[in-house]
Amino acid sequence: MSENATVLTEAERALYGTRADVLIPGAEGMPSATQIGTHTYWIDLALAARPDLLADFKASLALGSADDPAAAINEIHSTQPAVFDAFSVLTSGAYLMCPEVKALIGYPGQEPRPVIGDDVPEYFGMLERVVERGPIYRPTVTA
Amino acid sequence: MATEDTKDSAKADILIVGAGPSSAFAALELTKAGFDVVVLEQGDWTLRSEFAGATPEWELKAQKNWHPNPNRRARPADYPIETSDSDVNPLMFSGVGGSSILYAAHWVRMLPSDFQVRTMDGIADDWPITYEDLAPYYARTEIAMGVSGLAGDTSYPDESPYPNPPMPLGRIGRKAAEGMDKLGWHWWPAPQAISGRKYRHMEACVRRGTCLTGCPEGAKGSVDITHWTDAVASGTRLVTGARVREITTNTKGLATGAVYVDRSGVERHQQADVVIMCANGIGTPRLLQLSTSAVHPNGLGNSSGLLGRNLMMHPYAAASGVYEDDLESYVGPSGHAIQTLEFYETNLDRGFVRGAKWQVMPSGGPLGLRAGYSDSALDDVWGDNFHRRIKKVTGHTFEWGITAEDLPDVENRVVIDANLTDSDGIPSPKIIYKSSENTQKLMDFNLARAVEAHQASGAAEIHVTPLMRDCGWHIMGTARMGRDSSTSVINEWNQSHDVPNLYVFDASAFVTCGSANPTATITALSLRAAEHLIAERRNQEIPV
Repeated sequence: MSENATVLTEAERALYGTRADVLIPGAEGMPSATQIGTHTYWIDLALAARPDLLADFKASLALGSADDPAAAINEIHSTQPAVFDAFSVLTSGAYLMCPEVKALIGYPGQEPRPVIGDDVPEYFGMLERVVERGPIYRPTVTA
Repeated sequence: MATEDTKDSAKADILIVGAGPSSAFAALELTKAGFDVVVLEQGDWTLRSEFAGATPEWELKAQKNWHPNPNRRARPADYPIETSDSDVNPLMFSGVGGSSILYAAHWVRMLPSDFQVRTMDGIADDWPITYEDLAPYYARTEIAMGVSGLAGDTSYPDESPYPNPPMPLGRIGRKAAEGMDKLGWHWWPAPQAISGRKYRHMEACVRRGTCLTGCPEGAKGSVDITHWTDAVASGTRLVTGARVREITTNTKGLATGAVYVDRSGVERHQQADVVIMCANGIGTPRLLQLSTSAVHPNGLGNSSGLLGRNLMMHPYAAASGVYEDDLESYVGPSGHAIQTLEFYETNLDRGFVRGAKWQVMPSGGPLGLRAGYSDSALDDVWGDNFHRRIKKVTGHTFEWGITAEDLPDVENRVVIDANLTDSDGIPSPKIIYKSSENTQKLMDFNLARAVEAHQASGAAEIHVTPLMRDCGWHIMGTARMGRDSSTSVINEWNQSHDVPNLYVFDASAFVTCGSANPTATITALSLRAAEHLIAERRNQEIPV
C-alpha cells in the first residue's frame, strides 16, 4: 500500500465515497466508484501518484453539505474550480486504474506489444498511388 | 542520478552549456577529435525505472511529474518561465538528454524550400545554407538515432535509406491512410527515432505508447541513451546539477568560460577556450542576455540587437476523430504512425504563405491529459455521461496533429523577467509570443482539411482544437544565423559574429522554422558546425 494510505480518516473516506459516486455512478453497465473500492483503495494510489493534489482534495471534503453529496459537488464545481479539478482528476484517475474497469471499457492499459514483422504489405497499394502522383517538394533554387 | 566532474576544474578546450540533443552530438564529435570537453547541465540523468509508463498510475503522473511544461512540472532542475504574454506555453526538459527525454522522437528533415523562404516566397529570410549543405548530416543523424522509416517519400528530393524499417502503422495509421488515399493526398509512414528492433544502445520498441512521458523500455532514441554514455566513455566531462549563471568574458570581449551554481549552492567558474551554447531557444538567449560586460553591454553576442528575438514555436492545432471501429488507439509508438506534407509548401491560392506538417499519433489512455473539466457543465462530463464518453472514445480516437510554420517576427521574443527567478536566484526568462494573421489563416485552412481527412476515413465524430496552449515543444530562432552581422547573431558555422570563440548550436540558430519537427535539423546543424570547428581548430581565436 502507498505511503499515503493513512492520509484519509475513515470518516473522510465515507464522505468521499458518497461524492465520488455522484461523479461516477453505477450506470451503462459500469460499476460505481464505491463499488470497485475507489474510496477505500484506489484513491490511495492516486494520491500517492499526485501528492501535489492532496491539499485541494482534502479541501474539497471540507466544502459543502455532508448530507447532500450532489449539492456539495455542485457547490465545489461552481465556486472552487481548482479544488473541483483536483477532486475529479483524482477520482477518475483512481477509478480508471482498476483492472475490472479497464476490462469493461476494453482498455488493456499501456501494455507491451513487441513488433513482429511489419505491415508494409497491407498498405503497399495505397502507398504506390502516392508515388505515382510524383514529387510534391520544391527543389532548391540555384543561382 | 548525478555525475560529478572527477577531474579538477582546470580550463577545458571547449565548454558546452546544456546536455540536450545539440550538445550530445557536438560533445561526442569534439571529444573523439581530441578536445577536452566539459558539459554543464543543470539537471541530472534520468533512470528508465523512474518513468511511469509501465505503471497503473501513468496517466496521473503524466499530468505532473512528467508533464512537458516546466512551469507545471516544477522539478528542482526546472527554471520558471513567465508566459502571460504568450499564446502558447514553451515545453522542455532539463536534464541529461534535454527535451529528447520527453519528445515524441519524430525525426523529420526540413525541406529545400525551408532554407529559401525569401527566394521562393518573398518573405522572411533565406538561410545562409541550403538543404543540400545539410543533407549529408541529416543522413548521419538518422543512422546515429536508429531512425525507422521508409525511403522514397515523394515530399523529399533524396531517397537515402533509414537504418531501420518503418514501425507498423497500426490500425490508426491505416485508417488515416485510407482517408488520405480517397482524397488523393500525400501520406507516408512517419520516420522516427524509435525502432521495433534493438539498435546499438536502444532497446526494441514494444509500442507501449508512453513515449511522451519517457520510455521505460529504453527504446526511444533520446540522446542520454544514444550519445551521452558513449561521450562520457570517450572522455567528455559531463557535470550535472550545474546551473550556469553567466558566460564570462575578458577585456577583449572573448568568452572565457561560465559561472555556475553547483548542487550545494556553491558558485564555481569553469574556464574554457571555446564556449558552445546548447541550452535551447529560450535558455541560450536568457544566459547570453544575462552575460553583460563593458564590451557587451546589451548581452553577449548581441550587437545586432536580435538576441532573443524572432522566437518561433510551431503553433499546434488538432482535429480528433472518433470512430465506430476499435482502432486500439492506445497502442504506440507515440511517435507518429503516418505523416503528410500535402499542405507543407506555399500555395498562394490559399491566402497565406508556407504551410504545415500533419501527423497521426495515438490517443493514449482514457484519462488522457485532460484536466478536471471544471469549465464544463457537470452533467455533460460526469454521471452517466462519464461512462458513455469513456466507452465511446477509448481506443476509438486518433488525432491529426497540425504543426504549423510560424514566420520570424522580431516582436516575438525572449527577455529577462524583472521579477521571476529560478531556485538559485538567477533571473528567469519571459516570452512574448503572438500568432500572426498569416499563421492563423494557415491553421484555419489546415484544420478544415484535417476535418475532411477524418470524414474521408469515416469518423463518426470530429472535434477540433484550434490552438493547443501546451504546444511549444519547438523553440527556435532566437540567435539566428546569417551572413550579415547586422541582421543575424551567428554566422553560417554557428559562430557568434561578435565573439569568435562563442557558438550557438541549438535551435536558436534557425532563420525560419519550416513545419517539420526540428530535432533532426538541430542535430544535423550541430554535427556540421562541430566538424567545421574541428577543421578550423588551428585558426580558432581563444583567450590568452
